[in-house]
Amino acid sequence: MTPLYRIANLVFAYRQHPAIEIESLDIEFGSVSALIGPNGSGKSTLLSLLAFLLMPDNGFIEYRGENAVKSRSLDLRRRVGLVTQNPYLFNGSVLQNIELGLKLRGVRKRLRKKISSASLKRVGLGEYKDLDVRELSGGQAQRVALARTLALDPEVLLFDEPFSYLDRSSVAMVERLISDFRDHPEKSVVFTTHDSVHGIAIADREIGLVNGKLGRSPLVNVFHGYIKSGRFITSKITVLLPEKVSWGSCLAVEPSEIVLSLKPLNTSIRNVFSGRVVSILEDQGRVRMTVEAGETFHALITYEALKQMGFSLGQSLWLGFKSTAVKVF
Amino acid sequence: MEYFSESILAAIGLIVDFDKDLYQIVATSVKISCIALLIAALIGVPVGGWVALSSFRGKYFLQSLLNTLMAMPTVMIGLIFYGLLSRRGPLGDFGLLYTPTAVVIGEFVLILPIIINLAASAVNSSDPRLVSTLQSMGANKWQLLSLVLLEVRMAVAIAVLTGFGRAIGEVGAAMMLGGNIQGVTRTMTTAIALETSKGEFELGLALGILLLAIAFSVNWLLQRLHFYT
Repeated sequence: MTPLYRIANLVFAYRQHPAIEIESLDIEFGSVSALIGPNGSGKSTLLSLLAFLLMPDNGFIEYRGENAVKSRSLDLRRRVGLVTQNPYLFNGSVLQNIELGLKLRGVRKRLRKKISSASLKRVGLGEYKDLDVRELSGGQAQRVALARTLALDPEVLLFDEPFSYLDRSSVAMVERLISDFRDHPEKSVVFTTHDSVHGIAIADREIGLVNGKLGRSPLVNVFHGYIKSGRFITSKITVLLPEKVSWGSCLAVEPSEIVLSLKPLNTSIRNVFSGRVVSILEDQGRVRMTVEAGETFHALITYEALKQMGFSLGQSLWLGFKSTAVKVF
Repeated sequence: MEYFSESILAAIGLIVDFDKDLYQIVATSVKISCIALLIAALIGVPVGGWVALSSFRGKYFLQSLLNTLMAMPTVMIGLIFYGLLSRRGPLGDFGLLYTPTAVVIGEFVLILPIIINLAASAVNSSDPRLVSTLQSMGANKWQLLSLVLLEVRMAVAIAVLTGFGRAIGEVGAAMMLGGNIQGVTRTMTTAIALETSKGEFELGLALGILLLAIAFSVNWLLQRLHFYT
């Protein structure tokens, strides 16, 4: 089957500085893909390329077998839907914003209103249709932008950092929408996230991006177990959870959220384990320390921290992370 | 001093008595400036938006040229179009010299670069997300241009008002191309120059006060628009 996107020898540069260099990448039709990488890794640029807002300097992007060239970009843009991280809303009401894309496609007024209202209801903002967009909060604005894109019924939903600006209930709503989208055999989703755990939790496939190049998927610090009385229990350790978490069989800790110390940690950190350094490696301009503390943990620290703390291989130390740094899925 | 204060009183008298000659000059001036402005805005605003949104070879040269034209002395425009429109000039057959049309042309040429430049600046200084949002929503190039201009409408209005201010206050082109014919091409600025040289200081002063009032109103409007942008 023809993939949704086929990318080959893709190069895109901002003023001679290559931002994206991808030799080969296929994104499958009808799937949910997560572009995972740290800030500045080129996720948003790649998403703009997939939305045909940017054109490759070299190489090509094929969309459903069709080569994406500049002369075809308008037609292709109308088939995909992009929701940006910090969306722009036009002066006017919420409904006018949703209607605009339909208006650009020449959809009649009555149908426009019907589709727009339904789309607003899907994101839980049905009652906000007459509100001026200036009165919306950041999270609501992103939901309006999502409704605006959904109203256009795109073949692919391209979503930049969907979970960054949303509160807990909105995140659940967006996850549900992505899941609905996935259930439709003709629809696909590509979203970016710097939160590897979230990406892994809801995507069919993770695409790791490091400095504009495909990198390995950052699946680290993920442990299997079960929840009992506010604790996550693996076969080797017990982790205290945030109060509201009650369901999940996997627990993950972001490597950058882990604190390492040679002395016992006397802070508000609730999850503290003693362990031993088993490896120290360079990783994307930082230092990845692997610590055996019941489970094997990977922590990312700076060079300065490594020098200051004087960590060395085999050394005993304390490892800790807040219960809020934990993700359960 | 007495001469000056008496002249001011006489000038105010002319204004409040709705002196026919005075207001005819004002009407001619406003009419010519408005026509020039309308044509310049209809052309300059979309062209300015297009210049800002497009990337083409020679864009920076065009922008430099427009900047130069913005600072062009009005008598220079008068001189060039005098040469073009005079009987022996290439456009002499149209018989436009010393007609309101000639003044409209002069003022149009004067304010067109201003409106193009300020409209382009308005688009350039718009939110950087605006264009990509419209593109991602599937806007074609005409929809993109019109919606971007609509979104920066306050700044575009400022561009147009600035053009009006420049047109109504210019004297060089109006004098050289209009010839200061009473009831036809006599504008406020040309009348001030002529009446003062004739010794009709009161009429000149009355026109000056009205010109100042118009300039003030335009500036007040500009400030209000700046407040809302």
